[in-house]
Amino acid sequence: MDPDLTSEIPTQPAERVRALVERVVETLDLEASVAVEEVETEIRATVEGDELDLLIGSDGETIDALQYIASRAAFADSAERKAVVIDAAGYRGRREVALQGAADRAATEALASGRPVELEPMSSPERKIVHQYLAARGDIETHSEGQEPRRRLVVTPTAG
Amino acid sequence: MEDLLEYLARSLVDDPGAVFVESFEEDDGSIALELHVGEGDVGKVIGRNGRTVNALRTLMRACAVDEGQRVLVDVVD
Repeated sequence: MDPDLTSEIPTQPAERVRALVERVVETLDLEASVAVEEVETEIRATVEGDELDLLIGSDGETIDALQYIASRAAFADSAERKAVVIDAAGYRGRREVALQGAADRAATEALASGRPVELEPMSSPERKIVHQYLAARGDIETHSEGQEPRRRLVVTPTAG
Repeated sequence: MEDLLEYLARSLVDDPGAVFVESFEEDDGSIALELHVGEGDVGKVIGRNGRTVNALRTLMRACAVDEGQRVLVDVVD
């Protein structure tokens, strides 16, 4: 096989993420640019442009799939691990607000009934967002149940 | 579409040189993509509980939407 084909894949994780997201944007024929930012805990690629619905997919399924592949690929040959976040047209921010709303409703219901309340299945990064958001309240606890991709958070009132 | 699948797979495996994709058109007009990877790399592209290959399928479906086609992805070693 042509050795050039493998040399197109950068070795540095943030550059691998950039190359991969750019490839997807190109294949989907989108007019968009990709900005990549790396901090201590995370590599974040943000796609800006018009008509990014195809990249996001229904309920974010396409952008979540891309984020999953990018995070597997970024550290495929290194022991290092960071969260990889792919965002487009403000999707992650809107999603976070929606997740917090669902979390608040589940917490209210759990406290009112005194019983555990299950949230909808979510990806692992989204479960982490909700878990951390609810952990700050102190009056309820969360844990995960079930198998991927149906794994979900359960909200329980704190004993006592 | 094949090129993207090949690129994504090459970025996931230990032996990128062994990766290639064959594409077939089925009788019903859907596209079947056969992803070939090196012997030791099948697990890398399938992933735990098939999560990686399912994510690849989701991305390929998004690409096929444009062309109005159904797309199937299978892994072959």
